[in-house]
Amino acid sequence: MDLLVDSIRSAFLLFLACDPELLDIVLVSLKTSGMSTLIAALFGVPAGFFIAHSNFFGKRLLLTILNTLLALPTVVIGLLVYAFISRRGMFGSLDLLYTQTAMIIGQVILVTPLVTSLVLAAISRIDARYRKTAMTLGANDTQVALVILREARFGICAAIIAAFGRVIAEIGISMMLGGNAKGFTRTMTTAMALEYDKGEFVLAVALGLTLMTIAFALNMLFHFFQGRIESEVV
Amino acid sequence: MKLYELQGVTREFKGRKVLDLPHLAIESGKIYSLIGPNGAGKTRLLNILAFLDRPTSGEIDFCGEQVTYCKQGLLALRRRVVLVDQYPILFTGPVWKNVEFGLKVRGVARQARTDRVHEVLSLVGMEDFFKAEAEKLSGGETKRVALAMALAVRPEVLLCDEPCANVDEENQKIIIQILDRINREQSTSIVFSTHYLAQGRSLAHGELHLEHGRLCVKSEQSQSLVLPVNLNHGQLH
Repeated sequence: MDLLVDSIRSAFLLFLACDPELLDIVLVSLKTSGMSTLIAALFGVPAGFFIAHSNFFGKRLLLTILNTLLALPTVVIGLLVYAFISRRGMFGSLDLLYTQTAMIIGQVILVTPLVTSLVLAAISRIDARYRKTAMTLGANDTQVALVILREARFGICAAIIAAFGRVIAEIGISMMLGGNAKGFTRTMTTAMALEYDKGEFVLAVALGLTLMTIAFALNMLFHFFQGRIESEVV
Repeated sequence: MKLYELQGVTREFKGRKVLDLPHLAIESGKIYSLIGPNGAGKTRLLNILAFLDRPTSGEIDFCGEQVTYCKQGLLALRRRVVLVDQYPILFTGPVWKNVEFGLKVRGVARQARTDRVHEVLSLVGMEDFFKAEAEKLSGGETKRVALAMALAVRPEVLLCDEPCANVDEENQKIIIQILDRINREQSTSIVFSTHYLAQGRSLAHGELHLEHGRLCVKSEQSQSLVLPVNLNHGQLH
């Protein structure tokens, strides 16, 4: 117990001193997670919209695959991307392994299905009369889509926040594709694992607290958006 | 002049024929009531007339031209015909944003949009609600705003699905007055569905009776429009 209390006290001191190593790790985490969430949103939002509003052969199969991908372990994604970007891989010449780009690629693969599924669910909940009203008032396809996206905006925001929360807390992809290089690809989760291995709990606890604070803030945002959706439904 | 001419139009739903209209002609500039019990096919016919749904078979002529259902053609047709839903839904945001929607998608300039929004809100007696949040309106107010949204774009044809259903008597009277006025002043052709025979007869020049998806009677009233005695035209601006 003393160890934990001492670690928390020392962690707070690190915060107060704005420890450069701590800040560096947090910044790398935020940068890679932010970028991968943004890219996943760029793919996932239109994909979710398209699937929700289209009837095509194999839609049910696609939904099943999408749901399966939600359970894809990070180490599997790490292995898969590694196979492509390692020296012997198809894209080995691009020298992507152990870079932030490699981490972002893996994280995009991790959260795109999540964004797609949640956006699909959010858009499916939107009342069909919005579409009909926009159409009868003379909106073209793009304008109708914008109306629906606008009405589903809280659900879409919640999907993006959930994706960011998922990606900032993952470790498998960051470790396997980033390599935990100090000041370059070291994220909060990989640094915590390393510090734990070294028996250095102070930085690990400080990072853990930072991660929990970010997770808490994200959950607050998520509940805020969920509350907005529920109050709209009621 | 014939506004719509439907030839051999059918609509099937899950293998069942829900609409079967060998021939139906609707004249321009008149008000038609579409009367029939629940499930008669009134809403489905209105959706077809609004070009929001297409028939399973048959041909439709609109203003003498055959409807082809190509994408661009449909958009052009939808910009001439507006359907007000039985249970209209308003977009989240203020009333004025809802009313200007149809104008905005047509690329109308901001000032012209604002002027028109004031004009139609005044017409439906909802000018005081210009900045009100749409989601906070009552059922009757929502119907009047939905009507304003439709009228803002000056449609050639206004289709209303049960415009007076689920609203109080006062709102019913106001809605009937508005329909009558825009038909008289702007020659807007109107087709509205209703359960109530008396309501249909009080307002419409012609009646279309639907039962089990088939047209039973199509009658034209030769006499001039007779409004209910208790309507107060002074309520309109």
